Amino acid sequence: MRAACPPLPAPRTPPTLAGDLAIWIFILAELLAFGVFFIAYAFARANNPELFAAEQLALNRDAGAINTLLLLTASYFVVRAVHAAEAGQSRHGARWLVAALGCAAGFVAIKIGEYAAAFSAGISLSSSTFHMFYLSLTFFHFMHVLLGMVILGALWLNARRGLYGPHNMNGIESGAAYWHMVDLVWLILFPLVYVIR
Amino acid sequence: MKYKSQAVAMPYFIAAIGLFVAQIVFGLILGMQYVVGDFLFPEIPFNVARMVHTNLLIVWLLFGFMGAAYYMVPEESETELFSPRLALAMFWVFLIAGALTIIGYLTVDYATLAKYTGNDILATMGREFLEQPLLTKIGIVVVALVFLFNITMTVLKGRKTAISVVLLLGLWGLAIFFLFSFYNPTNLVLDKYYWWWVVHLWVEGVWELIMAALLAFVLIKVTGVDREVIEKWLYVIIALALVTGIIGTGHHYYWIGTPEYWQWWGSIFSALEPIPFFAMTVFAFNMVNRRRREHPNKAAVLWALGTGVMAFLGAGVWGFLHTLAPVNYYTHGSQITAAHGHMAFYGAYVMVVITIISYAMPILRGRACNSPKAQVLEMWSFWLMTIAMVFITLFLTAAGILQVWLQRVAEEPMSFMAVQDQVALFYWMREWSGVVFFIGLLAYVASFFVKGKEQPAGA
Amino acid sequence: MSGTFTKAMARNVFYGGTVFFFLLFLALTLDTTKALPKTDNRHNITADVAAGKHIWETRNCLGCHTLLGEGAYYAPELGNVYKRRGPDFIKAWMMAQPTGTPGRRQMPNFHLSDEELDQLIAFLKYASEINTQNWPPNIEG
Repeated sequence: MRAACPPLPAPRTPPTLAGDLAIWIFILAELLAFGVFFIAYAFARANNPELFAAEQLALNRDAGAINTLLLLTASYFVVRAVHAAEAGQSRHGARWLVAALGCAAGFVAIKIGEYAAAFSAGISLSSSTFHMFYLSLTFFHFMHVLLGMVILGALWLNARRGLYGPHNMNGIESGAAYWHMVDLVWLILFPLVYVIR
Repeated sequence: MKYKSQAVAMPYFIAAIGLFVAQIVFGLILGMQYVVGDFLFPEIPFNVARMVHTNLLIVWLLFGFMGAAYYMVPEESETELFSPRLALAMFWVFLIAGALTIIGYLTVDYATLAKYTGNDILATMGREFLEQPLLTKIGIVVVALVFLFNITMTVLKGRKTAISVVLLLGLWGLAIFFLFSFYNPTNLVLDKYYWWWVVHLWVEGVWELIMAALLAFVLIKVTGVDREVIEKWLYVIIALALVTGIIGTGHHYYWIGTPEYWQWWGSIFSALEPIPFFAMTVFAFNMVNRRRREHPNKAAVLWALGTGVMAFLGAGVWGFLHTLAPVNYYTHGSQITAAHGHMAFYGAYVMVVITIISYAMPILRGRACNSPKAQVLEMWSFWLMTIAMVFITLFLTAAGILQVWLQRVAEEPMSFMAVQDQVALFYWMREWSGVVFFIGLLAYVASFFVKGKEQPAGA
Repeated sequence: MSGTFTKAMARNVFYGGTVFFFLLFLALTLDTTKALPKTDNRHNITADVAAGKHIWETRNCLGCHTLLGEGAYYAPELGNVYKRRGPDFIKAWMMAQPTGTPGRRQMPNFHLSDEELDQLIAFLKYASEINTQNWPPNIEG
């Protein structure tokens, strides 16, 4: 079909693509979304310091602190799972992933309890600017935890079948990176929304 | 072409270009009415001309998308189309239904049209872009379903590539979200809320899947870059588009009676909406720079690159310009919106449809590329139309800034009509840019008839 | 990170991300639906308002005007026209169209009955009382 058209020059050398670029684009995009959200929060807070300080006091800081520990522990378990896979003990790593999933489930349970208390107290997205940010930021993050659990679950299924090993770390490392991102965001979110006054 | 049944794309492409010409004629009428208010009144009132202008745009883009799908899917699936006859039959149904609707707009009083087309049974008319009579809307759904059936069956019986799957997702999404055009509650806020599920989730949602699939297909063909690489980037781009675009719907929920928090959600996510368009530009240029062959169809490559740049400018930059709630408070519903709308539609959807037509039409006519003479004329039309559109956008933006200033920011705000008189100069310049655009379009049409030294197709 | 980001991973991110954000959008829609009665002025929707909206739609008013900022930008915003001009002016204006002034923008006469005009005005009154977060910035729209 192309034969009759102007002659083609010699093909160029095949391109090489920096492989991890794309996953980093996503992680950066996620951090950017949260980052913009945090800046918006700071901006709104600067305009309403009294309201924010007063309503912040009503939050359950203990629940937040426990959740911080749960997420950090989960991250530790995920690290152990990655190490296990690297050592060629994929099935062993699967057990670490179950432990991480358990911590994540604990986080979800506590968060649901927090939301139930908030809703019964009449807190909603429209009840105040602080509540808007509190619910939006934590719920946006909450959904990330749920997605993170789906990803850990998928890793667990694969790890149990002994799929990961020193030569196949791509999947488990990417999933772990995502989980650490979820954890990292919480480490900023918790002090920002619950603690700093 | 590789498969005989790809030929059904040809009438779709021809209809698309024909309706495009008609759309621009009405655009020129509208532009004139902006400065000479009683131009063609009462024969063609502004609202009728505008309805024809916008509806023709949607219809010809749909013709373009369907033609593109009929061309691409057999080649991607490596099999003949499930039913070429059905595709041809639907072409005529759609063309006749579309023509009747436009004739109805132009010859029958709108209220009368509504009365005789069942609007009293189910009121769906009279909302921006969804002005079509109930019968036409049902016709669109039927045509879309038959089309989707045909395309889906073809994909199912053949090879499933990322491009064809993404294209299918986009087209199915298009049909599904159109169903919200049948929901029209009396509650104006709810009406507007779900109206955007058609309009926004089309142009900043599922249509972007179609656009990205079209662009990826043409880039594979003209650059020879490995399919794995291009398809990976296709997924990256559409993921970014939907991740930002779905919640980005919130930028329409600032001032229509919806809760205040949409100002935050909408601003945050739509501030990120330029990212996928930027990625698309980088992607297009990257792939062309890494090309492993010199495709003889230079015009198609130019259109593909132009799509990347203009979509980023029109949808990304001009969208961002007024998307943040504190800015949008002043610019909402002004000529700034019109400026953005023109460049975004041209840069994203008009140009991507022309890209696929530019690539496919010569092949459908039995040659790999048009003669150099025809291509030179086509590239002239590219520059004329694109530069004219940049100027249309700039003049509308200038008019918009002045309008916002005089009518909404100034200490003693002027009335709407008084402001319109103040900005008339920019409307004149916009109209002249429109004339240049039209000349570019005529050059584009003419390029199909330039003979020159043609080379017969090989295999 | 070891290894490369594969097409399969990009695909999973696309599907996962889309489902994720669509669910989030649905959650926000659910909250909006629950919060709307406070802002959307629904308790003032009468049979006249409904009839007025129907008249509004079947005359394609949005082909020239904006309503809460949405529509065409050829003629004034009507979301707040009830407050800007008042019912009597609107009625007299509609009946006096078109002005026929050479070179000026023309509005068709829709030949509405007195009752229809009242219904249309009822709709515009209802629209003007929707809580639009203080938009437009001033009465000129």
